[in-house]
Amino acid sequence: MKIAKYIISIVVMIVVAYNAVFFKKLDEVKASRTTTAFNAAQYAQTFWNTKLAANLDKATDITKLLTMLSKDPAKTFETYSHALGIGNLRCFLVKGKGVIASINEDDISVLPDSSKQAVTLATEYIFGNAVRDATGLININEFTNTMDFNNVSAELNKIIRQNVLPSFKQQAKKGSVIEFIGAVELNKEHLDFSHVEIVPMKIEIDE
Amino acid sequence: MKRLLVIKIFFPITTFLVFFFISGCKNDSSDKGKKKVAVIVSTLNNPWFVVLAQTAAAQAQSLGYETKIFDSQNNTSLEADNFENAIASGYNAILFNPTDADGSVVNVLKANAASVPVFCMDREVNSTTAATSQILSDNYSGCVAVGKYFVEQMNKQGNYVEILGLVGDNNTWNRSKGFHSVVDFYPGLKMVAQQSADFDRNKAMEVIESLLQAHPDINAVFCGNDAMASGAYQALVAAGKANGVKVFGFDGAEDVINSIKQKKIAATGMQFPKVMAQTAANYADEYFKGKRDFPKKMPVAVELVTQENVDDYMGYGKKDNTQK
Repeated sequence: MKIAKYIISIVVMIVVAYNAVFFKKLDEVKASRTTTAFNAAQYAQTFWNTKLAANLDKATDITKLLTMLSKDPAKTFETYSHALGIGNLRCFLVKGKGVIASINEDDISVLPDSSKQAVTLATEYIFGNAVRDATGLININEFTNTMDFNNVSAELNKIIRQNVLPSFKQQAKKGSVIEFIGAVELNKEHLDFSHVEIVPMKIEIDE
Repeated sequence: MKRLLVIKIFFPITTFLVFFFISGCKNDSSDKGKKKVAVIVSTLNNPWFVVLAQTAAAQAQSLGYETKIFDSQNNTSLEADNFENAIASGYNAILFNPTDADGSVVNVLKANAASVPVFCMDREVNSTTAATSQILSDNYSGCVAVGKYFVEQMNKQGNYVEILGLVGDNNTWNRSKGFHSVVDFYPGLKMVAQQSADFDRNKAMEVIESLLQAHPDINAVFCGNDAMASGAYQALVAAGKANGVKVFGFDGAEDVINSIKQKKIAATGMQFPKVMAQTAANYADEYFKGKRDFPKKMPVAVELVTQENVDDYMGYGKKDNTQK
């Protein structure tokens, strides 16, 4: 009788111990965290086609913006920039027209009309939230998980990489006159005019 | 007769209303003195979280509240006990740094059931309704910036190792995903190993020591936080490889900022724990005063700190007075 009790106790202990510890592969945990019902690609495409397209005309001229920033940065940031939360990094929707001064490995340098200060259009590093945030039209509270919100940025950048840049990079030549609309992120506290890099959203080469 | 009636009826009512108003005001101010704010933090074994917890407590105290810091020691069960203790002890609000995005939701719901508002700091819980507000670092974007700098520093090629934080924490994956959203575009950059070290310095040191045996030819290490970056650097020094391997961190911890100045560590993403902690305490104060329409998630921008701009920064913030 005692032996039976011991055996039952040992079996119970083994079952409890076996079920108490389990191992999962890191890849599985990672996969489960990236699986989400939210379709970021679809959201980004709809945003790009509707809200963004309808608001591109609200872009501020880059030369005027840089002049305003040098004169009254606080007011210019308050009036023209957008950011989702607290912090120094804020985004602007900008436009410009100018001559391609140089074509580099990772970007294109453009000299806007009526300005001696060249601006940079990114052609390699299309990353970050500038495009998502520049219009101020997306609200973070729409999303259950910040990962979904981040994916929207990645998908918007993908649209630019796939639909905006290839034909432009093919046709762009030094001396070409171009018109562009894009997004730029600037640091409110440490404004550095030597690193103004615009993520292009629309580029047209004037014939 | 009429006059007497007016006096008899209106005088007591007016007196009662005046008394009620005065006593109500008095109660409000005395209640504020009695209100208690609990700070429940994932761990105090990491200086970054010590700063977060202490700043939250100090800000709540400066607003006139009694505070206590509860350490969950990265253990969700202990965190549940901390919540039960805080609720049972009559804390009126909880400033919360969770241990697990999913596992901590139930604790926040417990506080909800007891009508205690919860304000998450730095780490989120996977629920848009449980916490009153979540004040979070924009980890993904911060690591996009780190990733871009990483690609530039590596000239788009080389072997690297990624050291992840706690696998149950959203920040771990937001950082990793932000980093990979840039780095994975470059086939010349090869991740030879990806391993978790739970945001812990000693574990990161052990992980790198062991990984160096299998991969002696790495050119860089990307770590999900600065404690692990320090541990990784220490392991590289011990192996005599510190000069040939670039280390990238995330947090903006004081020792890593100093290491960047000394050109030991390449870069980090500067979070602002003090801003998050102060905002959470201010939100609790506003809640007590009647405000209810808080943003469910309030992102706080992360800034890239490199050897070029490190002089603008100090541990856990900027050198100027805007974000300390």
